[in-house]
Amino acid sequence: MEEKVFKRGQEELRRHVLETRLCTGCGACIDLCPYYKSYRGKTAVLFPCVIDEGRCFAYCPKVEVDLDGLSELLFGKPYDGNPLGSYQSIAAAQAGDRLKDIDSQAGGVVSALTYFALQKGYIDGAALTDRKGLLPVPRFVTDPEDALACSTSKYTAAPTLSAVNQAVKDGYKNIGLVGTPCQVLAAALMRSNPLNADDFVDPFGLVIGLFCTWAIDFRLFEPFLAERIEIGRIRKIDIPPPPSEILEVFGDNGTKLEISLNEIRELVPNGCSYCIDMTSEFSDLSVGVMEGRPDMNTLIVRTDRGKKIVEEAEKEGYLTLSAMPEENLEHLIWAAGNKKKRGLTKAQGEGMINTTDDETKAYLRMSVKVLERLTA
Amino acid sequence: MSYLIDTKEGASYLVMGNEAIVRGALEAGVNVASGYPGTPSSEIIESFSKVAKERNLYVEWSVNEKVALEVAAAASFAQLRALCVMKQNGVNVASDFLLHLVGSGTRGGFVLVACDDPGALSSVNEGESRYFARLMEIPLLEPGTFQEAKEMTKWAFELSEELKQIVVVRSVTRLSHASGNITYGKLSDEARTAEFKFGGFVLDPDEGIVISAPVAWKHQQQQKKVEKAREIFEDSPFNTYEGPDRPELLLITSSACYLYSKEAINVLGVEDRVGLLKLGTTWPLPPKLMIKHLSQADKIMVVEEVLPFLEENVKILAAEKASEIGIKTFYGKNDGTIPMTGELNPDLVLAALSTVLGIDYTPVPEEYDQAAQTSAVSRAPAREQVFCPGCPHRASFFSIHNALEMDGRGGFVCGDIGCYTMAIGSTGFHSLKTLHSMGSGTGVASGFGKLGQFGMNQPILAVCGDSTFYHAVIPALVNAVHNKSDITLIVLDNSGTAMTGFQPHPGLDHNVLGEEVPSIDIARICEAIGARVEIRDPFDLEGTRETLNELIEDASGVKVLIMRKACALSPQRKNKKDYDVHVDQTLCVGEECGCGRLCTRIFGCPGLIWNEAQHKAEIDEVICVGCGVCTDICPQGAIKREEVA
Repeated sequence: MEEKVFKRGQEELRRHVLETRLCTGCGACIDLCPYYKSYRGKTAVLFPCVIDEGRCFAYCPKVEVDLDGLSELLFGKPYDGNPLGSYQSIAAAQAGDRLKDIDSQAGGVVSALTYFALQKGYIDGAALTDRKGLLPVPRFVTDPEDALACSTSKYTAAPTLSAVNQAVKDGYKNIGLVGTPCQVLAAALMRSNPLNADDFVDPFGLVIGLFCTWAIDFRLFEPFLAERIEIGRIRKIDIPPPPSEILEVFGDNGTKLEISLNEIRELVPNGCSYCIDMTSEFSDLSVGVMEGRPDMNTLIVRTDRGKKIVEEAEKEGYLTLSAMPEENLEHLIWAAGNKKKRGLTKAQGEGMINTTDDETKAYLRMSVKVLERLTA
Repeated sequence: MSYLIDTKEGASYLVMGNEAIVRGALEAGVNVASGYPGTPSSEIIESFSKVAKERNLYVEWSVNEKVALEVAAAASFAQLRALCVMKQNGVNVASDFLLHLVGSGTRGGFVLVACDDPGALSSVNEGESRYFARLMEIPLLEPGTFQEAKEMTKWAFELSEELKQIVVVRSVTRLSHASGNITYGKLSDEARTAEFKFGGFVLDPDEGIVISAPVAWKHQQQQKKVEKAREIFEDSPFNTYEGPDRPELLLITSSACYLYSKEAINVLGVEDRVGLLKLGTTWPLPPKLMIKHLSQADKIMVVEEVLPFLEENVKILAAEKASEIGIKTFYGKNDGTIPMTGELNPDLVLAALSTVLGIDYTPVPEEYDQAAQTSAVSRAPAREQVFCPGCPHRASFFSIHNALEMDGRGGFVCGDIGCYTMAIGSTGFHSLKTLHSMGSGTGVASGFGKLGQFGMNQPILAVCGDSTFYHAVIPALVNAVHNKSDITLIVLDNSGTAMTGFQPHPGLDHNVLGEEVPSIDIARICEAIGARVEIRDPFDLEGTRETLNELIEDASGVKVLIMRKACALSPQRKNKKDYDVHVDQTLCVGEECGCGRLCTRIFGCPGLIWNEAQHKAEIDEVICVGCGVCTDICPQGAIKREEVA
C-alpha cells in the first residue's frame, strides 16, 4: 500500500490557514523564504513552493499545534488547560525609578524589562513592534534606547516574528521578543525544533508575552479611523482596562476620540475568534494591564529565566513589584477562562481540534481529558 | 550600396518576399513610403530606409497605421507615387481613413501593402485584410511567387494611376519572410515634383478638392473604377492556368497556396486530372476568365488560407452564370475539405486533393506519425516562450505580480500587443488577464475602473509598451482621466519598438533615416493629461514594487508608472555587460526550505541554470547578459555580481 505523505508545506498552509482566514498575520512564515510577504497586515503568498515540509507550516500557530509537546518543552509538564497557563508567580508591577518617565502604556513594565534585558546582555537584540503611521511594523533593536521608542500598544496585528526570522538569518542567538499570544505561540514552535534540524539552537533569550483579547484588522481599521480623524494626526491609541469598554484615539493637538468597543469588535480578524490564549501562555514572562489601575501592569512569571530577569530588574531599580490583589487575579482568571472556552468551543465545533481526518489539519492538539474538561 | 538598387537589368538576386515588394516599388519610382512596424511587414520600410538617400525617398515609421496611410495619401494627392505598409490588423486601424480615401480617390500611384499572418505565427489574431478590398471596393492583388511580388507591386502603381484609386497588394508571412530568386527590371528614373492642385472644378479628380462628397456621386465614380479594374483583370498575366483543357477538378487558388497546390498536384501525379487556376487579381474577379475555366470542369476546389474569401466570390459568380457554366460541385472551406483556420501547407492540400479525387494517400505512415508524436511529447524539453536574458519585462512583471499578490484584493492587468504580451504565460508570472489590440489594455482598464458602483473593488492595472503608448494608448488614457477611472497604467518603456526589431518611435531622438528628430516625452504627456506619474528602473525590484503598491492604493484616479530600461537587445545594451555574475555554490540552498529554486523555477531567466547533479543554481556564461537583477531575487545572497569596469 502506498504510504500517504503527510505534507506540511506551503500548499497546506494556504489551504488550512490562509484560505480559511485563520491567519492573524503574526509574521512567523515571513522572511524565511521569498514566497511569503506581509503587506498592510495581511500575509501574501507570492509564488507556489514545492517543498513538502517547510518552516512556514512548522512555525504557524494556527495549524497542527501540539499543546502538550510545547508545554513539556517549556514547563516540563503536559498542557493542563489552566486559564492563565503554567506560571510560577503573578504580581502587580510598574517600571522602576530608573525608567519612570518613559512614554508607554500602563505601568511600562514591558519597556522596562526589554530595556533591562538588552542593557544587561540577557538578549543581544529584540524583535519589537514599531509604528509607521498607523501601520504596526516589525523592528529589531539592539540598543536599549531604541526599545523605548517601540513602547505603546498597537492593537492591530503585526508580522513581528519576521524580524525574528531575519535576526536568526543575521546570526543572532539570544533574541528577545515582545509579542501577542499568537506570536508567542509561534515563538514556542520555533523553540521546539519542529523540523528536527541537527544543528538546532533555541534562538530566544527572552520571550515576553502580552495579554490580548483580540486584535484589529488593519485593513478595516484604517478606513474606519480615517472617517473619524485625520490619520496623520494620531499620536496614540489606547484601550483602557475594563470596565471602560472604549478605544481612545489621541490626536496631536490634545484631542481625544472615544469609540465604543462594540464598534471595534466588528473589525476583529476571523482568526482571533478561535484563540484560546489571553495571557500568552508559552512565554517566559507575560504582561498585561491591570483592571482598575491604569498605572499598573499584571506580570506573570512562567519560567526560570523569566524569573531571574525579573528579580535582577527589581533589584536594580528597573521594576517595582507588589502583591496582585486577590480580586484582580480572580477576574483575570475568569476573563482568560472565558476566552479559552469561547475559542475552543468554536474551534471544536468546526472540527479543528484533534482532527483525525486526512483531508483537514487540526488547529490545536491536546489531551482528550483536558479538552473534555474545558468544553464541559 | 544595397543590392536592392542594383541598376543592372536582368540581374538575379535571392531576396525576401518583402524585399521583392520594395524592388518592385523602386522600379515603379516610388517617392514616399510609410508604415507602422508589425510582423511580417516590418522589413519593407527598413529596406526603403536603407536606399532612401540614393533614391531620394521620403520614408517614415508613422505613429500608427491610420496616420501612416494619411501620410502616404498626401504624397499621392501631390501626384507622387506612394506606398503604405502594415500588417493585417493594421488595416483595421487604418480603415476609417481608407473608407474616406476610396471615396475621394487618389492621384499619384498609391499602393497599400498588407502583410497577413495566417496561423498567427507572430500575431494574436489571424485577421483578413482581403475582405477590406471587397468592403472598400478597391482592387486586390495577391502575388503567388517572389517574382510576382516584385512585378505586381510595380504594376499596382500603374493600375492605381489608371483608376485613380488605391490598390491593395496582399502578402502573407510565407511570402514576406521566405526568400527566392528574382530577376530585376529597370529602376525608374522619373523625377516627380510634388504639387497639390485644388483650384480646378470642385469635382475634378486631378485638380479639384479631395473629398468623398457628394457621397452618392463619388461612390458611383468609385464603382466605375471597380468595373474598369474588372475589365483590366481579364487579361492580367498574373492569372495563370496549368493543366488539361477539360480537367476532372479545377483547383482555384492564390497567394502562397499556389505553390502548395502545385506541389500537391505534383506529388499525387495528377497533372492530367487537375487544372490549376492561379489568380493574382482576386478582387474584383474577372468574370470572363472565370467563366471560361469554370465551364471546363464539374468539380471546383478553392484552396486559400483562413476565411473563404475567394471561395465566396467564385461561388457568387458561378451562381450568377449558372445558366452558362452549369451546376458545379464545390470543395473548400464551407464543406470542410480545407481547414477554415490556420496556415495551409502542401500536406493539407495533398490531403484535401486526394480525398476529392478518391486517391488513397497517406502522407506519413501511421506508426511513424504516432512514434513521432510520442517522442515529441515525452522527450522534447518543455519550451515556453520566454523573455530574453536581461529583459526588463521579466523584472517589471516580477514586481507587478508581487505587488498585486501583496495587495491581495484580486487586482489584475489588462494587456495588449508587444513582447510583454508573453506575460500571459509563466515568463511574465501569468500577470496579463486580458489581451486584445494595440492600446486596448488601457481602454479596457478605463472601463473596469468605472465598475465600482457595481461592487467591483479589484485594483485595475494596464500595461503598454512605449511604441504602443504613442500608437493607441493616448486616447484611452485621456478617456480614463477625463472619466475619473481609477486605474494604474504601467508603461514598459524599453526605448524602441523592440518586438518587431527596434524600429524608432516618437519617443526617440532619431528616425528611421538616422536623422535627429524631437522626441516626445511620455511622462510629460501623461502629466499634461492629468495623471500622477512616477518613473522607476524595473531592475530596482523593491523600489518598483513599493511604488506600485503605493500607486495601486492611491484611489485618486489615473496613475502612470513608467518602467524605464532599455531592451537587452537594444543597440545601447546589446553586448554590453554591466556585471559579471556568478553563484556562490556554498551559499546556494537550492531546493531546500528557504528558497526552493526561486531563480530557476520561478524567475526563469535563461541565463540561470539548474545543475541537477549538484542541486545548485549556476550562471550560463554564454547566455547571461550581465544585467545583475537576479542578485536581488536570491534570498540567500548566493548570486554575486561584480561591476564590469
